[in-house]
This record gives sequence, C-alpha cells and structure tokens, in this order.
Amino acid sequence: MSGIGVVWDIAKDALSTSRFGIDVTGHNIANVNTAGYSRQSTVQEAKHPMFFNGLQLGRGVTTSQVVRETDQFIENRLMQQGSNLAYSTEMENYIHILEGVFNENSDASVSSLLNQYWSLWHDVANNPLGASERIALYELSSLISERFQYLDGEMRQLKTDLSNVLGPAINRINQITNEIANLNNEIVGLESNNVANDLRDKRNILVSELSQYIDTNSFEQDNGSLTIVSARGCVLVHSNTSYSISLGGANGDRVEWSSSAGSKIDMTDYITNGKLGGWLDVRDEVLEKYSLDLDSMTREFIWATNQQHSQGVGLEAFNGVTASYAAASATDAMGTAASGLTFFDKIQDGNFQLWVYDSNGDVVTPGGDTITIDADTTRLTDVAAQIGAADANITAAVIDGRLEISAANGYTFAFGGDNSNTLAALGINTFFEGSTAGGMDVCDAIRDNFNLIAAGRIDATGVFATGDNANAVAITDLQFATMDIPNWSCDRIDGNTPGSITASVGDYYRAFVGSLGTISESLTRERAFDEVSASKIGEIRDSLSAVSLDEEMTNLMKFQHAYTAAAKLITTADEMLATLLELK
Amino acid sequence: MRVATKTMYDLIRFNLAHITDDMNQANKVVATGKRINDLSDDPVGMANALEIKSNIANINQVSRNINMGKSWLIASEGALTNVQDMLSDTRALCVEMRTTTKSPADREAAAVNIQNVKEEIIALANTQVSGLYLFAGTNTEVPPFEVDGTYNGNNSPFAIKTANDTVMQIGADGEAVFGDILTSLDDLIVHLQNNDVDGIGASIAIMEGHFSDITANISAIGSKTNRMEIKENILSELTISNTEQLSRIEDADIAEAVMNLKSVELAYQAALASSSSIMELSLMDYLK
Repeated sequence: MSGIGVVWDIAKDALSTSRFGIDVTGHNIANVNTAGYSRQSTVQEAKHPMFFNGLQLGRGVTTSQVVRETDQFIENRLMQQGSNLAYSTEMENYIHILEGVFNENSDASVSSLLNQYWSLWHDVANNPLGASERIALYELSSLISERFQYLDGEMRQLKTDLSNVLGPAINRINQITNEIANLNNEIVGLESNNVANDLRDKRNILVSELSQYIDTNSFEQDNGSLTIVSARGCVLVHSNTSYSISLGGANGDRVEWSSSAGSKIDMTDYITNGKLGGWLDVRDEVLEKYSLDLDSMTREFIWATNQQHSQGVGLEAFNGVTASYAAASATDAMGTAASGLTFFDKIQDGNFQLWVYDSNGDVVTPGGDTITIDADTTRLTDVAAQIGAADANITAAVIDGRLEISAANGYTFAFGGDNSNTLAALGINTFFEGSTAGGMDVCDAIRDNFNLIAAGRIDATGVFATGDNANAVAITDLQFATMDIPNWSCDRIDGNTPGSITASVGDYYRAFVGSLGTISESLTRERAFDEVSASKIGEIRDSLSAVSLDEEMTNLMKFQHAYTAAAKLITTADEMLATLLELK
Repeated sequence: MRVATKTMYDLIRFNLAHITDDMNQANKVVATGKRINDLSDDPVGMANALEIKSNIANINQVSRNINMGKSWLIASEGALTNVQDMLSDTRALCVEMRTTTKSPADREAAAVNIQNVKEEIIALANTQVSGLYLFAGTNTEVPPFEVDGTYNGNNSPFAIKTANDTVMQIGADGEAVFGDILTSLDDLIVHLQNNDVDGIGASIAIMEGHFSDITANISAIGSKTNRMEIKENILSELTISNTEQLSRIEDADIAEAVMNLKSVELAYQAALASSSSIMELSLMDYLK
C-alpha cells in the first residue's frame, strides 16, 4: 500500500545513503596520503519496486556495497618493479662505496703508486750504492703493501657489512609474512559476505614491502587468502601459516628456509630480487670477483718482483737467512700441492748456485756450489741437505716448514742463476712476502737491512760488484712484462671460474678499475630505468586507485546536496502529514 | 587520464630530485674542472687516462735516467779529452827526445815529465760523478786505478735504461780504456831512462795508436750524448702530447660545463616555479 509512510522510508534511506557517501568520501579524504590506499566508493542502487494498484512504485535507494578501485594485475606489476628497483638501488649504493675505495683520482691511488714503484727501481738502478734510493724504494713498497691491505680490508669489511644487514632484513621479512598470514585469516573470516577493502589494502602494502626485500610470487586462493612463494620454490605464506627464514650455514651468512617439519633449505644463491638479491649479488658475485682479481694480480706482481729479485745480490752477502714462505709438508716434493708452498706451481726443474765467502770476502769455491732441483721429487728437506753438504761452513735446516740457512762465524753466502724458481718460491733473497692483497708486505730481511735489496748480480766466478745494477735494471723491465693473470668470473650458482688475461700488472689494474667503473655506470643506468618504470606504473596505479581531492570535494558536494534534498523530503512528508492531521 | 592528488606531488618530488642530481653533477664538473670525477663517469676514458698517466710517469723517469746518463757521458768526454791532449803532448815529447841533439840528461828529465803525465792520466781515470767512479766498470765504489796503475775495477761497464727496451753503457771498463796507455807510458819512461832512442821512436807510433783509440772513444761518447739529446727532445715532445691527450680526456671544457650548469639551473627554476603554482591550485579555494 502506498502512503506517507513510504515517503518517510524513502527519505530515511536517502539520508542514510548520502551519509554513507559522505562517510566513504571522508575516509578517502582522510587517506589521501596513505601509501598503498585504494580509494573506495559506495555502490548505490534503487530498491526493489513495490506493486500498488497494478503500478510499480519505486521504494528509494540503498547502498549495496562499498568497493575499492583497484586492479590486482597492476598492483602485482608495481610490486615486481618495486622489487627490481630495490635490487638495483642496493647494488648501486654498495658498488658506489666500492668505487670510492678504488678512487683513482689521487696521487695515493694504486696505479700512481705502481708508477712510482717502477720509477724507484730505476733510481736504484741509476745509483745502486745510494742509501737514499734504497730507503725510498723500501718506503714506497711498504706503502703499496699497506694500500693493497687497505683495499683488501675494505672489501672484506663491505662483505661483512652486507652479511650483517641480512639479519635485520630477515627479521622484518618474518614479521611481514607473519602479519600477512594473520591478515589472510581475518580476510577469509570477514569475506564470507563482504569484501574486506582496507584489510586487502593493508595486505597489498605488506606484500609490496616484502617484495622490496626478496623474490615474491603471490597468488590468491578462492577463499581470498594469499599464498606467497619465494626463491627456490620456498613457501613463505600459505593460508594462515607463515614459514620463517633465518641465517645459517658455517659462517652464519647463508639464508635458510625452514619447513614446518623443521628441515632447512639453503635458498641464498637463488634470491635474485629485492634488497636481499642486491646485497647477495654484491657480496657473492661483485665483491667476490674483485677480491679474487686483486689477489690474483697481487700474487703475480709479488711473484714477478721476487723471481727477478732472487737472481741478484745486494751490497752484501747473507750471514743467515730464513725463508718467508713455509711448507706445510717439508717431506713432499716442493713442486706439488702437497708441499703446501704458496708458489709450489712456479717451481720447475733446474738449479741454482750457492757461493760462500770467507771472512776476507773471498769466494771459497769460485765455481759455486750447484743445488739441483727436480720439481716432482726434490723435497724441502733435500734442499736443506744439499745446501748443508755443499760447504762445511754453511748449515741448513727446515724449522716450522721454513728453510733456514746460516753461515759459520765470519762466513757469508749468496745465490744466483736460479732457473728452477726455488729461491723465489721459498722466499729466500726475495723482496716481498705474502701472496694476497691482504697478506702482502716487504720481506723482514729487506726491512731490517736495505743493503739486501738485490740490485746487482754475481758473476760466474762468484764475484759481485756493489756498483752493479744489472738486476735492478732487469726488475724495471717487469713494468712492461706481460704475464698470465687470472680474471675471475663469479656466479652464485655456477661458482667462481678463473679466466685469464695476458697483461702487464699496470694494464691489468687499469682493466680492473675500468670494469668496476663500467659496472657502476651500467648499474646507475639500470637503477634510473627501474626508477622511471616504477614511477610510470605507480602513476597508472594511482590514476586508478589513488585519491584525488578535487574529485572527493565534488563528491562531498554531491552527497551533501543529496542529503539536503532528502531532508527536504522529510519536511515535505511532515507537512503532508500535518495537513492531514489538521483536517477537521 | 585521471590524475590523483598523490600523482601530482609524486611527480613534483621525482622531477625536482632528478634535476637536483643533474645540477649536482654539473656543479661537480665546474668545481673540479674535471670531466671524470668517478670511475663510473667514463670508465673507458678513466682507463685511458690512467694509462696516459702511467706513460707520463715513465717518460719522466726515463728523462731522469737520460739526464743522469748525460752527466756521466759529459764527464767521461772531459776526462778523455784531457787524456787525448796529454797523449798528443807525449807524442810531441817523443819526437823531440828522439833527436840526436838531446842529451841523456834531457831524456832523464823527460822521463820524470812522463811519470807526471801517467799520474795525471790515472787521476783522470779516477774521475767521479756524484761520488761514483766512471771508469771502474760496475765497481763504482772504489777508485779504479792505484798510483802504480793497478786496476781495481771490473770489466762490465755501468749501464742504465734509456728506454723501455734499451740499456745504454754510460760508464766504462777502465782497464780497456787506460790499461795499455799506462803500460806504454811505463815503457816510454824506461826507454827515456835507458836513453833508448829506438824505443822512443817506436813509442811515437804507439802514442799515435792510443791517440786514435781515445779519439774513437770520445766520438763514441759524443754520438751517445747526441742520441740521448735526441731522445730527450722526443721525450719532451711526448710529454707534451701525452699531457694534451690527458687533458682532452680528463678536463672539462669549462665554457661548456658552465653553460650546462646554467641550463640545468634554469630548468630547476622553471620546475620550482611551475610546481609551486600547481601546488597552490585546489578546488577548495573556490568552495564556500
């Protein structure tokens, strides 16, 4: 039946519908700056009509639901791009730090120090007797060693820093996955009859944050819960359960996923996205490569100098010498890995001469004593025995894996003509010690006595002139000598493989910093690209989902006017009723 | 396209951040005067620049070597020229002493003269440059000749590097240069003391032989000095061309850099102006 009551009902519904509209608009305005918020709107529809006297009479309006303007596909694209951006940003940050470590625009840069190093050998060659030239060479060589140690230390520190940032990030990931699992639970509960708009927004924000950290692949189940799978197929969230990841491995620097049964899967090498992907790429690929490259270069540089240095003689002969490289096993052939000698691979068949001088400085045996080496059979103990047997005034022993040679009181000894590389491999009559960037230093013997810098050579009769510079000249030749230096490529899954470059040390180092610069340059470009595409997708997403205040103000006016009109309806109904009641 | 309020602010932020970055880069180039400030600014250019720097360092070192070599060669030439004069005088003395008009006493006196010549030649053979003996082979620390003419040096002349693949002898084996001369002078002294006119006569030819040996030595040194001077000129030209190339790679074209900075500055001002005017606009200003 139609009556004034219907008008009252229509007016009441219109009022509440407009109020809903204003509520939702208010909610939108309030969330204008909320990240990840999707604007909402009310869906109004006409109520089911009523039949009266064969007429269909409308019964007003109702709010059927509050919907949120969103496109999950775009949201997913945005998350993916955000993940890429987080990856390239972190890569770029850390590579820039590394680039700063290898700053070449200064006089203390490695290439400048290397130039000075060869120059100082020229100076020693020009004046082999000069003490100041020798001191300058020693000082610069220690500076180079320190510089290499510094570079190595900085790269190690960066690696440690990167392992350290993993922990907090993993805690946050676990927190997020836990919250998502809880939200899954709530959403499934709420959505039995309605869409949980704000909770879904909240979940999207969390998934988006999660994808900034790590690879994510998410899909929604029919009941509205979200399943998230990460690198190597590890499930982070399923239904209302989250699975945690943690740091593990021997050094506590591997990312491990724990199943509900408690078994662990090492997913480290498969994480390729988000901040973790960036950090792990820098730590296990970029820093790994440059550390190995620097070590390889240092090794060849040390070897080249030592090998030539060991052919010469200083201003005085030795009265005692201790090898700087220790053999793990003195009873295995020196040319085999079993000996544990750092440079075992450089030892070859051959021999070297040992000359002994009496207290007047005269050669005891003018032809010298020949020590013969067979790389595959001669053991360190054999060398000691040969040296000991060569001359009654010389004793040799292996102590803690190091060959120690000493002369009887007043006697001295010197070496020459080593074509077996044994002396250099043992670290006798050498210039540098160590074989890595971190372990490089000038030999203690040289540090304690600059006269042992071997600028000269001994002639076939065992005589040497202090003014001779033949060996120093030969060392200056090394500046342009090419050698095979490993050029590493590191991949987290394929492992580290040593390539090889034939280059001088200087060329190798220039290629090294050049490649670092190229990586840094291309990362900057990649980051800029990711930034632009993230911002473009963000714009598309915002164009659909974000709040426009102008729009909301218009809506506000719209609903306000509708509200006013509905109120007018009530006034009208009221007046109609009063008219009726006033009938007499 | 629908533009959300957030989009507008995001874009303003994004654009301003980018222009600020550009401005920072442009300013860095102007402030340092260098086009390459970080490895990544131009990795290839940087590697080239490092190589050129290394070349320049090497050229400087070789130039230093050559300077040192020249000082040795000039000192050797001076000493040998003096020896040459003495040999010429000695020959003249021989010619004079051979004549029958000279008495044994004259020849006796001449012997003393030649003894002096010998000592002077020994003194010249012991010539030093910055404390090192030129004519001692590589035994540069000790005087190569004792007063009696005994040689203490060795037979390998001191040599230095004058190019990446060239080693040049700048010292000399004193025994080869002066040994025979000293023996001949000793012989001549004996002839003079013994009044042996035939022996004195024979010495003329011997002295002439020594004279031409020394002359050959001097001209060899002259040509070495010459080579070093030519090399020095080449090196100084190389230094200039390398430095120029380095500057081309590394240095910023200041006019261009300043222009660049100005244009970025202009873009920044424009962005600020347009952003602030957009930010002021709102429907709310028109609602009562």
